[in-house]
Amino acid sequence: MDHLTLEFCLTKLNLSSDDNPANHPAPTLSGSSKLWVGSFQAMASDCEILMEGLDETQASRLLSIAVKETWRIEHKFSRYVSGNIIDRINRSAGSMLELDAETASLINFSEQCYQLSDGLFDISSGVLRKVWRFDGSDAVPDDEQIHHVMQKVGWDKVSWQAPFLTLEPEMELDFGGIGKEYAVDRLVLALQSEIEALAKSDPNLKSAFVANFGGDLACSGARLDGTPWVIGVESSEHNQTSVATVSLSHGAVATSGDSRRYLQKNGIRYSHILNPLTGESIIDAPHAISVAAPNCMQAGMLSTFAMLHGAQAEEFLEAQTLEHWVQR
Amino acid sequence: MQLINRKKSGVRKIKKIAPALAAASCSLLSVASSDVLARGEAGTWDFEVASLFYSEADDRVMAAEPVFSASKTFEDGEVLNLKAVFDTLTGASPNGATPSAAPQTFTKPSGNGTYAIAAGDAPIDDTFQDTRVALSASWLAPINRDWEYNAAFYGSKEYDYLSIGTSGGLKRYLNSKNTALNFGLSFSFDNIEPEGDIAKPLVEMAHLGTSDSFDSTRDGSSDSKTIIDALFGVTQVINRNTIMQFNYSLSLSDGYLTDPFKILSVIDETAGANFGGNLLDGNGNNIYLHEARPDSRMKHSLYWQTKYALSNGDVIDGSYRFMLDDWGINSHTFDFRYRWQLGSSYLEPHLRYYMQSEADFYKRYITETEYLAGNLQEATADYRLGDLDGMTVGLKYGHKLDNDTEFNMRVEYYLQTSAGDEGFGLLKDQDLYPDTRALIFQIGYSF
Repeated sequence: MDHLTLEFCLTKLNLSSDDNPANHPAPTLSGSSKLWVGSFQAMASDCEILMEGLDETQASRLLSIAVKETWRIEHKFSRYVSGNIIDRINRSAGSMLELDAETASLINFSEQCYQLSDGLFDISSGVLRKVWRFDGSDAVPDDEQIHHVMQKVGWDKVSWQAPFLTLEPEMELDFGGIGKEYAVDRLVLALQSEIEALAKSDPNLKSAFVANFGGDLACSGARLDGTPWVIGVESSEHNQTSVATVSLSHGAVATSGDSRRYLQKNGIRYSHILNPLTGESIIDAPHAISVAAPNCMQAGMLSTFAMLHGAQAEEFLEAQTLEHWVQR
Repeated sequence: MQLINRKKSGVRKIKKIAPALAAASCSLLSVASSDVLARGEAGTWDFEVASLFYSEADDRVMAAEPVFSASKTFEDGEVLNLKAVFDTLTGASPNGATPSAAPQTFTKPSGNGTYAIAAGDAPIDDTFQDTRVALSASWLAPINRDWEYNAAFYGSKEYDYLSIGTSGGLKRYLNSKNTALNFGLSFSFDNIEPEGDIAKPLVEMAHLGTSDSFDSTRDGSSDSKTIIDALFGVTQVINRNTIMQFNYSLSLSDGYLTDPFKILSVIDETAGANFGGNLLDGNGNNIYLHEARPDSRMKHSLYWQTKYALSNGDVIDGSYRFMLDDWGINSHTFDFRYRWQLGSSYLEPHLRYYMQSEADFYKRYITETEYLAGNLQEATADYRLGDLDGMTVGLKYGHKLDNDTEFNMRVEYYLQTSAGDEGFGLLKDQDLYPDTRALIFQIGYSF
């Protein structure tokens, strides 16, 4: 899409190129007043919002709010954007930074996850990517490489006293493990408050929506006819056709899996889920785990934690007494 | 074998963490999503407007000072700051003479008329009014991982005063950026061109309407001084809560350092009815001398500051400064702030205590003996160079309106007390060291 066309499409949705720093394709809105489908790209995923009970103006307004908020979060927390807060943290090389409230609350949340998971979930584990490259090859790193990179992994090495953060040189933080789920939850809140605002001028307004960011879902509630939303989720083994479907009538579902991202050597499949305590790939993890929870952050963390439990994933999930699906 | 080892994974104790995770995620999502665009993010301009009002008790100095500031952070971490300050000062300030049991008449420093002070009142010059405009620009940029530089230019202009300056600095990070060394150098040039010209040092103030010649007390229309400052500092991160800073700075001033508007009273030491009163000249008028200060000054100061962040987000900030100069003044400043975080607002109580010893050439007045001996080189009765203590008590309140918008206000009360030689004879009945009280109010808005 050329620049002018993109600009035009953004303007139609009341967005500008300032809202689209990553230069994503323009979002599209299709369907009818029965069901609107808003689609856009963000965080390396196809993102979709299904909306019921709205006219086109209202649906397009909701879509633009969803897009704006998602692109904002992507731009602010992506580790690929030079000059954003993550980049500044990762280049701080030991100097103390004062973080804004939103970043600080994400760090606080990550710290709680680190504690709850006894160190299995760690936003400083991203540097392991330097030795683990999940390209489907057999390039499994050796112990020495892992030992070397592990010197720069570990939340316990990070000095964090909100809002002041000090990160050792060569360590890196990465919200890749929570960013998408966070965006889904934020978007639900933003859309709900916009619907409340719309309902002030139209008391008879009844609407429902669900957001699907590449398998991370959250909804406003059941569909208007009382039935659950049924969403196809990409299967781990066959990444073209959607095999698994998820029914959702409240809250959120998140999925963790190793589809397409693994290494294979001597018949062992090394998943892209890495144990930050050892630097090793989790070997006996299921192919995919979906968890239903009141919000997407919680669902996402539980499915990730379950993956990190490897062979004990099911045992861990049973203990949480939340609905879940496991593909081995 | 390596692969076997890798397959082995310890059995974990399974915990139920879903409820704790639910609580954590709710608390995360309860943070207003409007806390979004952080200040100082690359590519955006941050603006700050503030207005300061300063008012001394007893209709003395009043000042209003609006400040406009804009900063831009660039992608590579450079920061540009532009700032403009406008001052309006009105009111009266002490001219240095002692109060007297008799009314006193003073010639305005401009030579355009006189002003009278009632018996027993503090002699203050109410012709004091000025407007100042100050502009500055600063630039800060990283050179590489370990070095950073900054440069700044400054200029200010008021009716009879011009000041221009430039400064530059280098910062070197060490020890994984836990230590920073700062080196700074600045140079400024000030020029004063008072209405009515520069007064000659320690000559008698001319009384208008007598045989005195005002012009003969004048010495050129303008004069100037240069100031060179050098700073060396160390900033050290002590632990995850504490950051500490030490600075040493040296300041050299050279040139015209005298205040052309200040005078001293000459006091009669002859026993009799006027013992301790103003010495009179041949026309029966009080004798006052224009002050004189040395033409150079060297100041050394040491500064220590510690910031400590508490686990609840509050910050304690304490500092101490010791200053020593070759005019014989030394001073101690203690400053303490506590930033109390209350959700999106904060309250910051502030306490400052300042104590200063007097300059070698400070004299509340000149005695008849000293005057007649005629060998005084330097003398000033400016209370700012005398023995004084100052105390500031203040409170600041700030409220974050949304993502990067903050409103704040500050109220401070300042009390300054001076002490020294209480005089003799008639002078003993006068209050030679009145207190200075001031109220400071500031409101600010940044976006």
